[in-house]
Amino acid sequence: MTPLLELTGVSLHFGGLRAIGDLDLCVEEGEIVSLIGPNGAGKTTVFNLITGVYDPEAGDIRLAGRSLVGVPAHKRTRLGVARTFQTLRLFLNMSVEENVMAATFCHTRARVWQSVLRTPFQRREEREVQTLADQKLAFFGDRLAGYRRGQPAYSLSYANRRRLEIARATAANPRLLLLDEPAAGMNPVETHEITELIGRLRTEGGYTILVIEHDMHVVEGISDRVVALDHGVKIAEGSFESVATNPRVVEAYLGLRAAEEEA
Amino acid sequence: MTEPTGPRIGADEWVARQEERLKDSGLSRFGERLGKRITPPMRFGLLVVGLAIFGIATSDQYYQRVGFNTLYYAALALGLNVVVGWAGLLDLGYVAFFGLGAYAYAFLDSPQYGLHWPTLATMALACLGCAVVGVLVSLPSRRLFGDYLAIITLFFGQIFYNLVGNLNATNGPNGLTNLDPLGFFGLHINTVRQYYYVALVVFVGVVVVLWLVNQSRTGRAWRSMREDSMAAQLLGMPVNWLKLLAFAFGAGVAGLTGTVFAALEVNIFPSNFYLDVLITLYAIVILGGAGSMAGVMLGAFTIIVGLELLSTPDNARLLFYGGIALGLVLWLRPLRWIPIVVGGTIALGFVVNAIATAVWASGTKPTSFGGQSQTMSSWVVELTDPTKAGAYGYAILIGAVLGMTLLKGWMRKVALIPVLYLAAFVWENELVLNPSVTALIILGALLVALMIVRPAGLLGKARVEIV
Amino acid sequence: MINWDQFVQLTVNGLTDGAIYALIALGFSIVYGILKLLNFAQGDVFMIGSFIGFFVLTGFGGPDAPVMPIPVLILLMFVFAMIGAGLLGVVIERFAYRPLRNAPRIAPLISALGVSFFLQNSALLLFGPEIRSYDTFELGSGEYAFPSSGIQWGPLNLSILRMLTIGLAIILCVLLTLLVAKTQIGKAMRATAVDREAATMMGIDTDRVIAFAFFVGSAISGAAGVMFGLLLDNISNTIGFENGLKAFTAAVIGGIGSIPGAMLGGLLVGLAEAYSAGYLPGGVTFQDVWVFSLLVLVLLIRPTGLLGKTDIRKV
Repeated sequence: MTPLLELTGVSLHFGGLRAIGDLDLCVEEGEIVSLIGPNGAGKTTVFNLITGVYDPEAGDIRLAGRSLVGVPAHKRTRLGVARTFQTLRLFLNMSVEENVMAATFCHTRARVWQSVLRTPFQRREEREVQTLADQKLAFFGDRLAGYRRGQPAYSLSYANRRRLEIARATAANPRLLLLDEPAAGMNPVETHEITELIGRLRTEGGYTILVIEHDMHVVEGISDRVVALDHGVKIAEGSFESVATNPRVVEAYLGLRAAEEEA
Repeated sequence: MTEPTGPRIGADEWVARQEERLKDSGLSRFGERLGKRITPPMRFGLLVVGLAIFGIATSDQYYQRVGFNTLYYAALALGLNVVVGWAGLLDLGYVAFFGLGAYAYAFLDSPQYGLHWPTLATMALACLGCAVVGVLVSLPSRRLFGDYLAIITLFFGQIFYNLVGNLNATNGPNGLTNLDPLGFFGLHINTVRQYYYVALVVFVGVVVVLWLVNQSRTGRAWRSMREDSMAAQLLGMPVNWLKLLAFAFGAGVAGLTGTVFAALEVNIFPSNFYLDVLITLYAIVILGGAGSMAGVMLGAFTIIVGLELLSTPDNARLLFYGGIALGLVLWLRPLRWIPIVVGGTIALGFVVNAIATAVWASGTKPTSFGGQSQTMSSWVVELTDPTKAGAYGYAILIGAVLGMTLLKGWMRKVALIPVLYLAAFVWENELVLNPSVTALIILGALLVALMIVRPAGLLGKARVEIV
Repeated sequence: MINWDQFVQLTVNGLTDGAIYALIALGFSIVYGILKLLNFAQGDVFMIGSFIGFFVLTGFGGPDAPVMPIPVLILLMFVFAMIGAGLLGVVIERFAYRPLRNAPRIAPLISALGVSFFLQNSALLLFGPEIRSYDTFELGSGEYAFPSSGIQWGPLNLSILRMLTIGLAIILCVLLTLLVAKTQIGKAMRATAVDREAATMMGIDTDRVIAFAFFVGSAISGAAGVMFGLLLDNISNTIGFENGLKAFTAAVIGGIGSIPGAMLGGLLVGLAEAYSAGYLPGGVTFQDVWVFSLLVLVLLIRPTGLLGKTDIRKV
């Protein structure tokens, strides 16, 4: 079976710096894969390559067998990729509801003239968008429910903002969800919630998820597989236990001495 | 085990109880409930009815013309609002589309080329044609935002002005004259009142269409683009196409408005479509609140009526002193300072005037030098030949006002007294004598002041930005 | 065959006009480099500079009866114009742009627009709509017949004035480049341009650095104003906007934020104007159209301008 996401031999340089070097990565449908590595390893760059911020200099990126290279970013969303951002990028002055509804643009088809004339098709689509937004927000319990829906996004707490970003990404109806450090800045209770949430995203939402995370508890709790990067190169891949104890991974995070002590 | 009392963590109690509070009786609650019941469409309907009544109620052509001006400026500003307020792009050549529409009408409905197209056809062509040009102009800046777009559009506006002012086809600086009146299904539009109603119809049409577009997925996408264009792009919104669309709408509205303007004016010249119109439009949009249609309408009313008031010395005087009074009442706090400042300024005035007229009797007799006031002459020092002193006074006034912003607390309030008197002096001796230029100066200063003090304008929402 | 005389003359004219655009563009680029702000008022500062020069000229006797030797008079004109324009620039920055340092990008742009309009119309109010003339020919007649005298080199007719213009532009450009690259304050300017917040934390007084940058940029524009008056005689309150626009184009073509780029862009715009006036249909009337097309072309092929650097943004 073709994997949902497949990177083969992907390379990217920024000037003289190698950001990604000959990377192979596979994500099967329904999997949750974690991408780990020290800061600067190139994890967000991988996301940027997949979503179309950059195009790879070498290699290929395939989504469900179809190559994404050269496809403009906004079209990739329609093909089934949606993401959250390491530094939150919500539409702060728009309401919670609107943030989520905005992401439905790629799969709604009402034309401008249909919007002006308020044709039955357009009105039905708007209702569907509203219902979809309700559903996606309801996924988070009553955190983003009730009166919160109409509040501007800047009024949300940090944890809620992270949740909203995930909700917004799911509203694009993607097959592949890219979560960039979803648990960053969260306290232990919130982190636990996020771990459960990611699991539910797979089971209830049916999304395939690629997660960048630093918090190893989260990684342990959610991953089917873990991929470790360092300086743009894959240094380990496998189950959490095998990667966590892999000496190269330990060295990347903690240095050579720690790796030797581990061994 | 009883439930713990006290606020629940994570729940905003005050906001959550909003629905309950609304059920309370009381006048302010009644107002809130009423406000919720009267939806924006209803409010707009009321406004339209009011405007329609105004058209019948007044038979003075002057008022009708002012009403016409307000309406077409409002329509123009609403078009600009699409680009600047909704899509967040800076279009500095917007006036060129207005001019294009006007010149299109001049080509198609005047003796110049012997063409006399039916009005509706010309309007449609102007509107759509300008929309297409709008797309073309914004194409080169597809990958660019903000700064480069501003330069390209500014240059486009300049090119239009140059071309139209120099080409033989457009009669150069002499403009095109003798344009046909509008005609709809055999009915010719001849009186100012009729043009007022045409403008009203165009205005309503523009508002309705733009509102419908904004309340749809397109409007959502524009807003997202304005918030964070990269994030919007990565969530599936075709940002480049949305930019072109915003430009197209703005340009189309401007072109349409241009035809109505041209028909009423009967003669159009390149100078009708230059920088001062652009600045006026920006002042309207910013003052009203970029992004808010109601705000833009309010801004148009305020500025156009204000400019009209500024055009005659007596009205201008009213506006000036009234404006100062209003400003003091609105912003001077604590309130006890108001009588202090006002009293002090008046007293200072009489003193200075007495000294000045005593010391230099010949130079301080006011002539009716194009607008100097006889009544004010005992308070403000009015010079027989105000040109030089007025100019120096102006420069000093600018310095004084800027310096005043550096002071704080009571020093600033005390400094108000001589500054206000100086302002009155400069006003009477310099500014009121050149009302058209004064109006433009005020517009420029208004833009700067608004950006610094209240960028959201009157009805805009204060935006939270991460820079 | 090509009329070489005409070509050479056009080139010279283009280079001198271009030098003036380059000077304004320099001021523009400095400000943009340090604040990422398009200072629409730059052209109007140039205009004020030309008026200051004019008033100094007439104040000291005027073109017909100068009370001092002409070179001294001209020097004074430059000094006053540069200082006056520089101070004006500092004041503008302090009151119209500094409060908006942390506002979204569109806010200072609109404020700049307002300042430009305010300056233009204040000049109209104070100086009136009449065109003032430096009357350079009159100024230069007698012992110092400099407008028309100069080097005669084959087909090249290069008056002292033109040499002065191009020379001044080159000197100022070189000085500016050295200032930014070699001096302490130049380093501070570069640091502030890259990351203002970090610069403050490294002990740089960014307010002062920015004020200095505005002073330098505006002073250079002021000098350009005097140059303009000497070269083209007639000044009015609208010259700021028109020439400012060409200067923006020059800065963008050359690479906005780049000092040599501003110089290059200015010369290119000047040459484009001259050649299109001389050779392309439409002549002088449609110069602007051709220059605009050049701008669009450059932006399509190389959006950061000829010598500009690409902006790296982290997503």
